[in-house]
This record gives sequence, structure tokens and C-alpha cells, in this order.
Amino acid sequence: MTKQLTLTIDGVQVTVPEGTLVVDAAKMAGIDIPVFCYHPKMEPAGNCRMCLVEVGRPVIDRATGQAVMENGQPKIQFMPKLETACTNTVSEGMVVLTQTEKVTEGRKGTLEFLLTSHPLDCPICDKGGECPLQNLTVEHGPGKSRFLYDEKQHLAKHVPLGELIWLDRERCIQCARCIRFQDEIVGEAVLGFEARGRMTQIISLSEPGFDSVFSGNTSDICPVGALTTADFRFGARPWELKASASICSQCPVGCNTTFNTRREAKAGGEIVIKRVMPRQNEEVNEIWMCDKGRFAYHYAESAQRLVKPTVRQAKASWTDAFDLVTQTFEASKSDVVVLASGRLSNEDLFNLKSLADGLGGKSILYTDMGGGNLTAQVGVGQGTDLGKLGKGDTILVVASDLYEEAPVWYLRVKQAADRGATLIVANSRHTKLERFARYAIRYANGDEVKTVADLQGDSKIAQEFANAQNAVVFFGSDGLGLNGSANLAAACAKLLQDTKHVGKANNGLIGVWQRANDQGAWEMGFRPEADLASAFKNKIVYIVGADPAGDDPALALALKGARFIVVQDILETLTTHMADVVLPAQAYTEREGTYTSGERRVQRFYAAVPVHGEAKADFAIAGEIGRRLGLNTENGSAMVTFDRLAASVKDFAGLDTNKLAEVKPQWPIVGRGDLYYGGTTYENKQGLGVQLSTAAERGEAVSLPEVRAESALRPREDQLLAVPVTKLYDRGQTVASTELLTQRIGEPTVSLHPETAKRLGVAAGGRVSLAFNGLSAEALVKIDDTISAGVVLVPRSMGLAVREPVSVQVLGLAEAKVS
Amino acid sequence: MSLAQKYPNEVNQIMAKYPPEHKRSAVMPLLYLAQREEGYVTKDALKDIAQMLDITETDVASIVGFYSLYHDHKAGKYRMQVCTDLPCALRGADKFLADLCGNLGIQVGETTADGLITIEAVTCLAACDKAPMFQTQGPDGIKYHENMTVDKTLELIEALKSAGKEVK
Repeated sequence: MTKQLTLTIDGVQVTVPEGTLVVDAAKMAGIDIPVFCYHPKMEPAGNCRMCLVEVGRPVIDRATGQAVMENGQPKIQFMPKLETACTNTVSEGMVVLTQTEKVTEGRKGTLEFLLTSHPLDCPICDKGGECPLQNLTVEHGPGKSRFLYDEKQHLAKHVPLGELIWLDRERCIQCARCIRFQDEIVGEAVLGFEARGRMTQIISLSEPGFDSVFSGNTSDICPVGALTTADFRFGARPWELKASASICSQCPVGCNTTFNTRREAKAGGEIVIKRVMPRQNEEVNEIWMCDKGRFAYHYAESAQRLVKPTVRQAKASWTDAFDLVTQTFEASKSDVVVLASGRLSNEDLFNLKSLADGLGGKSILYTDMGGGNLTAQVGVGQGTDLGKLGKGDTILVVASDLYEEAPVWYLRVKQAADRGATLIVANSRHTKLERFARYAIRYANGDEVKTVADLQGDSKIAQEFANAQNAVVFFGSDGLGLNGSANLAAACAKLLQDTKHVGKANNGLIGVWQRANDQGAWEMGFRPEADLASAFKNKIVYIVGADPAGDDPALALALKGARFIVVQDILETLTTHMADVVLPAQAYTEREGTYTSGERRVQRFYAAVPVHGEAKADFAIAGEIGRRLGLNTENGSAMVTFDRLAASVKDFAGLDTNKLAEVKPQWPIVGRGDLYYGGTTYENKQGLGVQLSTAAERGEAVSLPEVRAESALRPREDQLLAVPVTKLYDRGQTVASTELLTQRIGEPTVSLHPETAKRLGVAAGGRVSLAFNGLSAEALVKIDDTISAGVVLVPRSMGLAVREPVSVQVLGLAEAKVS
Repeated sequence: MSLAQKYPNEVNQIMAKYPPEHKRSAVMPLLYLAQREEGYVTKDALKDIAQMLDITETDVASIVGFYSLYHDHKAGKYRMQVCTDLPCALRGADKFLADLCGNLGIQVGETTADGLITIEAVTCLAACDKAPMFQTQGPDGIKYHENMTVDKTLELIEALKSAGKEVK
């Protein structure tokens, strides 16, 4: 255990671990030392001088090594000048004074300097009302400046660092929190300082500007209004905003978030979401979130929202729609196939599963990734916190590009590697996480399973994995389809089981799923189906939260074979166009429910805005249909549904709303009163969620499937193989309707090996035509010399339907793309 | 043409001085090399260096921005960099700079019509006691000129002019 040291701050005795900074020790004791540049998540910089305090240390007699005593007390020698509380670590017997006249003068002076050229445009500043500079000036400032008003520096006030983040140079106080966040925490140094002294300015030269998917976080930790998001800029005043707790629905990380809402004239007096902010959960997303989660929520406000049921494409009442659906289901019973996606909540999926089971029909999970039955057995144990992994621990990331698929996991894994954890990144190509890996393994497409199997050998990497104190494996579907990823999952599960890294906290398997609640869908008993066309043939298909027809023309064709189609979704899609009955569902911003994250943490989200039109919650629609069919399904309350779910799904046993709402003190301290310290991130008052236990830790028998030697097709000499990869900003329904992201979504772009490109006569930025699965499409070309010459990387959800590795014909197109 | 193609030997020599895991430290000599010919670091050279050292362009630009000896834009044959920090200002550097600009008919940051002199204001050249002072950066390297007056400076400019002619 770390040595504990005792010091006195303003007369209060504080005992803290060795190495603690004075500013943090004070915070722990409830004493606020004002800071601007210091942030508890980052290394101290000591450049704003706001935290100056008086520091005294006991005088030690050199001869005896003992403290010199004076009047029965250790003699304290104070430093002649003020010291920065953010760069000094505590020492035994230290005396810190934060309220003396000298300190007060120091703070006044620092603020007077910081404000020499600050525009003081608080009345029009987005940060006004939640601004550390504003708050600390009121509390500690001189009230008056001796500097000449006319000699104020005037700088550019509307500088786009990229299209997502704007910089106001006049407001910037050069604390470098944003630069350090990008450099230290993210590992993408796309922000920097230019020039010196009074001329110091933030710059970003990346292409596109501020090229990082974490850019929004810099506006949260900016202690002034210098960095604002294009989404919220001049959008509202912080004090007008209400806060509703939510869980991000974009990926399986399950970041805790807050929706800030207000009533708005522009929206006809309706309550609308003005911004999405992270909500602290140190075991999930800490105080961060990615830009997709922050900006893509606009899909719920899309003009494509379904607001009224339709029957045979004509507007209908809910009664008529329910009647027709119920009659059809009643008449067909076991011919009903429920196809649902992980976009839905646990409650939705539970009711849908109950409905399918009640009818004797089939329930299919709409995904191209397998392995969820394994994460329930050998997933990470209760109490898992990636933030605790470090020296002696090992993390394997295989067939996943975490940066694009689950950005906050990328951040957490990268930081675990920074703390000394052994990171093994295995993929068929370069990914951003590789830079932080101790071992980067590049396998040939088709060698995924062999690569994982080889980690059980005598090699140094294998030994390191086997001997790791804790080991976590992330597996994904990079370059793989349903069968490939399921087989890879089996190989990873075997590796963990054989090396005894299962059944305990910080050990086990994590699926990097394609949708936020895929894990929950597996828990509810949904299973994917490789051959959807056969599954649809002559059936009554009930599609919920999925757009198979829009995703893949082959699936649109397959749907034509269905006898009757019911589609329940929030947006109009190609699939709703094919439906006999369309049921409008509520967006997750309009209702409550729970999701199960990839780490199998069950977390609750709440309604933030009023319901669009006549939409109903998915669980309620399924529940109502069930009731009409004589099943005892809940159709009113999401949390009653959750209670039923907890009573019937074994791994959820004992869970209830109280357990989900439990909180505990978290570090760093954030929240409204402490926003100068931790940023504008919201404090978590609504619950940290509950991690499910795995079969392995309950001591139950674990049955793992046989691992097949081959998991995916390999490129052959005479052909190119198209392999799917995931892109963060894609044309998926839940992203594309956010205009702000259009530029980042871009055009469909495939990656080619330089040799392949040369052979096809195309260069980067050129165009190719692709023919696969009887389809053809065009795409832009990107060159990637880390991939095999036999493969073409095709991004998912960008209009090129590659659901698993497939042979492809590629032709270079002469016409060069003019951008 | 990339820097490595243009100056293969020098780039190799520079890179060899630093262990591969600390290759980013080669940024200073590479920048110096990059601006030798044009007198400033071009956008392409910036990209080039970032790629060579596996750091971001923003990182490289920050370094160019920090030092008054690196430049990101083209200037006259000689850069005349007047120190205007506080101690120099107390010794009349501000007035010196304003008078000099007035005499040359240009503003700070601008170049004389003949393309010979660019006047720049910089911070701290470590010669406060001999202010007003400036350094010239040109084909003949970096030179300090201390205890200067406008007249002495104009004489110097004349000398630089004729020196240029002689070379021709």
C-alpha cells in the first residue's frame, strides 16, 4: 500500500497517499484552491499561477535527521514566495495556507493579468454561467484592472479549428488543458501553441481540422469560453437548461450522458435537446465521451421520423394497426419471425422475445457479429474497471478498431497501456491503437483464429498473456462477418478459459458490438441468423429497430419473400416502405429503459423530451400486441417490464431500479460547484448501473463451442476479397441525419493496397467500381500499405453492402474525382 | 521533392544523431535545414518533417511558432528582428522600431520594396543592456547589432545593399 502522509491545510489535518498534489489533498479535505490549467485527469502544467499558496515544511536537523522543535512544535520554514499547489506534492508535516493576505494578493494579481486582454463578453459567451474564469474572478478577482482598456489585444473571435469546434482567441487564457488532453489522454496531438508570450495562440493543422473524435471534451474542460462546439455555440444559456440523465446509444461502451434541454420558440415552444454532455462514471466513461455520441443525437429530431402508424402505406389509427397485426400474428403463430436489433432497450427486447416465444415463433438478432453467448459465460467479472488495469495486466484487442468502433474504450485501453499494462493489438491492418501496443500483430485475413490460438504457446507474448495478473480480451468484427466473428469469439473464450482469466473482476471477454445493446439482446435470448432469406421465406416478419432493406439490397429481395411485414422503427426507411404495417416507435430520448453495455453493465436512461407524434415505446407496442394475443406482457411501464425481466432472465436476478440508481463518491470531484476543477461534465446522481455476473464467476459449468480452424475467407491469388470494416461516422440511420457530421461521414471510400491500386491504375482520391454479390457500386479510393494486396477494405453502413468477406471485382475508373 | 530526397546525406546525418525512439528530437536541425534555401519552412516541408518524425504537423508548427529563428512565411533577403521586450522598451526600443519603420516607409512585418529588408519585432534576444538592438538573419547567418540608432541602421542597410550588388 502507498505510504500515507499527514499535512495541515488551513489548520485542517489531512492524511493522503504519498505523491498526492497539494491541490488534490486540499480538495479531498473540502478546501478549494482555485485552478485554471490544472486538471485532475492530467499531468500538472503550472502555467496559470492561479493556485499559488503558502507552503511551509518542517525544518530537519541535518545532523540528527529529526525535526527541529520550537515551543514543543516542529519548526516550520515557509518558502519566501508563493508556490503552485498543482505542481507540489505533499510531504509529511507540511503546512499549507490558502487564505492568507499574501495568497489573496497573489490570486488578485494572477486574475488581473489573465484579464488584461480578456474580452469580458460574458453576456454573449456560451460559457457564461458555468465559467471557471467568471466564477473565480467574482470570488478572487481584484474587481478593477490597472491595465489600459484601449491597449487590450483584439484577436479573432470566430476561428473554426475544424467544423465541430470553434475557437475564440480573445477568450483563451493559454492554460493548455485542450492541448494536453489531446496529447496526454487521447494521444493525438492535433492541437498546439503557436508563438510566445502575449502572442500565444491555439492552432490545429490537421486535415480535417481538429482531427480527433474526442474534440468535444476540450470544450467541457476549457475553463473559459474559448472552445465551443458548433452544435451548442450561441444555442442557449446554461442556466436555462434542464438536465436529464441518459446512456449513449451509439456503441457498446454505454457512456453515461446528460441531455440538456429547454423549451424553445424555434421549436414551436417544444422542449428540445440543446446539447449532450458526459456524466461521470469512472468505471465506464470517466468524464469523457466521443463526438459521435455528443453530436449524432439529432437523428431523433429528423424529418424522417415516423409519427403515425400506417397500414399498407396509408395512415391508420393505432387501433386499426394493432388489430391487423394481432389478427395476422394470431392466424400464423409459429410463422412469426421477430427480427430486432441492439438499438432497442433490454425491456423492448424482453417483450419482443416473450411475444415470439408466446407465439412459438422465432426471434432473430439483426447483426453481423456473433459471440454474445460467450460473453455471458466468460465475460468480464463484476467490478471490472478498465481504469484499474496497469502494470502486470494484459489487454488483447483482436479484429477491432476501437477508435472507430468504441472510441471511449480506445481511450481507456490506451491509458491502461500508459499505466504499464501490456497491450496486444492484433489485426489484419494498422489501427490507431497500435501505436500504444507493446505487441502489434498483423495477421493475414483468415488467420484470426490461428493468431489467437498462437497466444497459447511458448512465445514471449503468449507467456506474458498467460502470466498476466489480469487479462481482458476485446474481440470485434473488423474484416469479419457473423460466422468469422463467432468463431473468433470462441477462440478468445478458449484462450481466456485456458489461461484462467475468467470469472473475476478485470478478466474476461468483451464484445465490441455493432450496436449499443447487442449484449442485452443476447441476454434476452435473441440469436443472429446467417441465412435471413430462408428465415423470411413465407413468414410473417416483424422487424424492430432495423433497416435490412436499406442496409443490403439482397435483404430487400429476401424480404419480398415474406408473407406479411410489420416494421417498427423511429425513422422512415427502405424497410418501412416495404411494410404492410408500420408502427412508429419512440426515440430513446423520449422514453426510459435500460441498456446492457459490452462490459455487461446494466444502465438506466430517462426521457428527456416529449414524444414525437403518436409514437409509442417499443416495449409498450410489443407488450400491447402480446396482451391482445392473450400473453401477460407489460404494456405500460418500462420499469415494470424491467422488474419482470429481472424475475425471468437468470443473469438479471435481483436487479431492480434501486440497485441501478446506486451511486458512490467518485474522483475527481466534478459537477456544478466544482466545474472549475473537473470541467462542465455532470456529476452522476442517477446511478452507476450494475455489472452482471458471469457464469464463470458463479461457478457454473462453462460450455464453450468448438473452435473451427478457419474463421473467414482468405484472399486468393486470382481474386480480390472485400472485407467489411467499421467507420465511426457512417451513413447509419442514427448518424447520417446529423448535418454537422456530413463532412466527417464523407463519401464511400474503400482502401486498397498500393500494389492493387497500381494494378488497377488508380491513385488515392480516384474512383473504382466494385461488383460483388451480384451488386455493383462506385467508391473513392484510399491507399493503405498495411493491408494485404488481396483485400479491399469496405466500410460498413456506407451504401456498400458487404456483410462478410466476399469475392469482389474491382475496376479502376479513369475519371478522376475533383474534390 | 521531399526533404530526404533533396538533402539525403544531411537528413541521414541528422537522423543518425538521435535514437529511433527519440527521433522527434531531430525536429530542430531538420527545420533549420528545411528553411535554409527559402528562408522559411514551407507547408510541404512541415508535413514532410512531421511524417519523418512521426509527430503531428501541429506539433512541428508549434515549434516553428515558438522560436524567432524559424519562419513560416517568406520574407526579404534579410530579416531585421528588433527586440521589444520590457527592458529593451525601457531603453527606447519601441521608439527606435517606430522611427526605423517610418524611415523605411514600411510597417512591422513588412518588407522594403527592393525585397532586401523585412522588419520584425521579437521578444528577448538576451542583450537588454545594449538596447536598442536587433539581429539580422540573412544569407550570411545571424548577426547581433547592439546600441543601435536609426542612422546607424540606415548605414547598415546601405552597406547590405551594396554588398548585394558586389556579389552580383
